[in-house]
Amino acid sequence: MKMLQVYRSEPNDDVKTLVDILNRDREADEFKLYGENPNYDELVSKIFAADKTVCWW
Amino acid sequence: MAADPNKLAIFVTSPQNMTHVVGIAEAAVRAGKKPMVFFTYKSVHLTKDARFKPLAELCGEEDIAICADSYTCEGYDSAKDIPAGLTAKQMRTQAFHGALLDECGKYIVL
Amino acid sequence: MESLKVYILIANRTYNDGIRSALGLAVENHYGYPVIMNGEFPKFSTYMAENIAWIGDMEGEVFTCGAPAPDNLPEEVSLTEINLQELGERMRDADVIIPYGLLKQTNTPPPACAE
Repeated sequence: MKMLQVYRSEPNDDVKTLVDILNRDREADEFKLYGENPNYDELVSKIFAADKTVCWW
Repeated sequence: MAADPNKLAIFVTSPQNMTHVVGIAEAAVRAGKKPMVFFTYKSVHLTKDARFKPLAELCGEEDIAICADSYTCEGYDSAKDIPAGLTAKQMRTQAFHGALLDECGKYIVL
Repeated sequence: MESLKVYILIANRTYNDGIRSALGLAVENHYGYPVIMNGEFPKFSTYMAENIAWIGDMEGEVFTCGAPAPDNLPEEVSLTEINLQELGERMRDADVIIPYGLLKQTNTPPPACAE
């Protein structure tokens, strides 16, 4: 199971707690959408490389 | 029908992510993938964004829709004011979200 | 068609429409699990109460995480209290996780929001 965690904004404590549990013992990657000029090609590549994507607020 | 591994569901629930919606849909097409997009609740306000019509054309009639009930709840006329780029058959119910889950191998919410 | 387990996380009082969205998936033979986070409860109108009851009838469940269920809920409304760690463990089995709408506001809504 490969997880991809995507963040639309800086993750808060609740999100960090949930991500830690979801990623436990799994391969995990992340992508920050809240930076300047996110590379959408890279994000799409990551989505298709992952088994499951969660895009947090 | 089994989920298509080359199809990307984009479920839009927030009214403030149009740049991401367009950016991801266009990147998916560049990668040879097929985006399928559903706008619900307050995200239907994004149908008034100038970038919505090109997005609808990019996706095609079968693969983009909005929640008609949400559109009405937000004050728009779902009979007389169908968003630019859409037809009446793209004014859908939450069942279209079910179709996203059934048809798409990958999924992201914005 | 495979029935999927879908968690819809509601973190903002104005986005309890996520409960309707969960019901829509339940009708499509998926399992809908809306989670109301940190006390951002909806108004429990007759419509909302019926939707919550219907999700239960369709083998889904509506959770409250980070706040106890309010007193005096309508008779047909059942909210399952769950803490953040329990929610995380349950969601490890989820097929889809939907952080719905917007995050909670940091400022207090003015009275105008009540209308």
